[in-house]
Amino acid sequence: MASRSQPITQKRWTHRNWVQRRDLLWGLISRDIKLLYNRSALGIAWMLINPLMQLVVYAFVFGVLLVNNSIPNFTSFIFSGLLVWTWFQSSLTEATGAIVHNRSLIRQPGFPVAVLPVVNVATGLIHFVMSLPILLIFLWVDGVQLHAKLLLLPLLMALQFALTVSLAYVLAALNVTFRDTQHTLGVLLQMLFYFSAIFYQVPTEYSQIFQFNPVLILIDGYRSILLAPEATTNSFGWMPLVILTAITAILLPLGHRIFQRQSERFVEEL
Amino acid sequence: MGHGIVVQNLGKRFSSYSSDRPRTIMQAAMGGLKRLKAINHFWALRNVSFEVQPGEILGVLGHNGAGKSTLLRLIGGIGSPDEGQINIRGRVGALLDLGAGFHEDLTGRENLMVVALIGGLTREEALARQDKIIEFAELESFIDNPIRTYSTGMGMRLAFSIAIHTDPQILLIDEHLSVGDIGFQAKCIERVKALRDQGCAIMLISQSPDQVMEVCDRALLLNRGQVAAYSDPATVVAEYHAAMHPHQNPRLPQANELVLGEKIKITAMEVSPAAPFQCGGSLTVDLDYDCIEPLNDPIFTVRILHESGAVCFDSNTESFGCHTMLSPGPGRIRLQVERLDLNGGQYFVSAGVQSQHWETLLEYQDKMRELVVAPTPIVEGLLHAPCVWTTEVPPKSSRRTNHADHGNNVPVSPKT
Repeated sequence: MASRSQPITQKRWTHRNWVQRRDLLWGLISRDIKLLYNRSALGIAWMLINPLMQLVVYAFVFGVLLVNNSIPNFTSFIFSGLLVWTWFQSSLTEATGAIVHNRSLIRQPGFPVAVLPVVNVATGLIHFVMSLPILLIFLWVDGVQLHAKLLLLPLLMALQFALTVSLAYVLAALNVTFRDTQHTLGVLLQMLFYFSAIFYQVPTEYSQIFQFNPVLILIDGYRSILLAPEATTNSFGWMPLVILTAITAILLPLGHRIFQRQSERFVEEL
Repeated sequence: MGHGIVVQNLGKRFSSYSSDRPRTIMQAAMGGLKRLKAINHFWALRNVSFEVQPGEILGVLGHNGAGKSTLLRLIGGIGSPDEGQINIRGRVGALLDLGAGFHEDLTGRENLMVVALIGGLTREEALARQDKIIEFAELESFIDNPIRTYSTGMGMRLAFSIAIHTDPQILLIDEHLSVGDIGFQAKCIERVKALRDQGCAIMLISQSPDQVMEVCDRALLLNRGQVAAYSDPATVVAEYHAAMHPHQNPRLPQANELVLGEKIKITAMEVSPAAPFQCGGSLTVDLDYDCIEPLNDPIFTVRILHESGAVCFDSNTESFGCHTMLSPGPGRIRLQVERLDLNGGQYFVSAGVQSQHWETLLEYQDKMRELVVAPTPIVEGLLHAPCVWTTEVPPKSSRRTNHADHGNNVPVSPKT
């Protein structure tokens, strides 16, 4: 009699469970986006206005005021870097609070806690994807020839997604013990921003050191797909990306475990 | 096969940390890492065993901090036990944190969707049930307003309605059945019972013994993380009342401070007139005591309790302004109650002695004597005070009857 309505066992990964997980993820993402733009007059348009305003500032400062403009297609160059950076920075900042700011959700029986940073990074991804058409317009205005390599873009995005989620897992877990992680992260990200070659090209004598910056590796990847290989600092070809993929493959399950343990600990704290 | 909850020997330990535990990376870097370790452990739950069968409601009673919510959370899979086992079969629905997942700025409908998804429904299922959920919550005309405009009761109704519409096979409810107006409460209880009849295993934390009596099939009393009683609701509720007593009177010290009978003993209690006592009569309680050490200004207390454990009457010598100096040896003290309007039923009389200024409990005799009050026509309630019913029909011409002045029967002339 109890199984009158479809019997669902919790542990088994039935088709229904997958659908449920997907719907939940989607529900949380759309809630995030609604919350971001809910009470603003321009609403969802902010998604595009934001990076454009930034672009205007940087293009003006570094393209007009500090004229060192040896970089071809300067606007596209900055904008591509800026978009990648914004996605990385905003989702990482948000996701660092994933455990601490979602106590009531984590306390829901059966709630898949690990989904929370994924939601943050996915929200950033949506912003990123929404801005891509504008980037394409800039590329077109700059007269950049797009080629078949563009099809590699989703792969690169997947790598950035996975890397950001893995870092977010670790940082969110750290934030449980040390509540100033989020602030510290802000400072560190600020530094990283200037070391990510967003509005300049890395001089060759420093390129060895800069190759340790994962965001720079990603940005280089995007630029070599979108602009031209010459637009990058990449003297190693695709190798850094392969290494980064390998690191992410190790970091993701590791971060996931740390995150899971810390969120469990967190709800038990009195 | 069946679902349900089986808990065996459950133990949960919490740690407390040193107060100068580093809270920031900075402090930790300054050499605080060793202080990250816990300095103290205590058991929030220990040796807890029970079962909830499908189609059964288990009520959980206990003081604040007895471990009720911790227990429910562990069963919901939040946190892991340090000892023992929890076996659960079936999908868990829960009302642990009220309004969990609700967001102030989103509308009721948007929140409903998200919370239903969090509760384990797919989008399709949630959409199909949306109208039923809204209807049950009685929020048809508010559902598209932001939650921040809702009252607490409205939010609770929505949360409850979502939880019971997610087809849980196990339902955990943390004290929330007592939120909301009486009408909705009754509706919720009906619904919880209906779920039980469909084979759902339900655990319900309640602060209300009456509710446990009314709703539950079994009850569990927790005291400082241990099972103090696990039986049918009536037995457990009686235990609960007994355990509640020391705490109802904040002046009574904790059990470990008792020095019962070392300085003074109550040797006998006489209650007259002897049973059955007639309602509205006067009552005399005589206490014979044996004083062992000289006592300066001790306080004698007498308390009359209903068999349910409710305190009906409590009096002491201090509030009466009666001060004495006791020297060793036997003695007698008398309490005269002029008039006792107790309803018919079974009562008990307890007596105790406290030292000066309520510092220590020197002696306590719980339910030392029975007090049977002869049956009275009214069945409910504890009091049977003399009363009169009269009916007064307000004058028909009056359109502005002042209800507060009803009894004065002053005719109000219609406005011209």
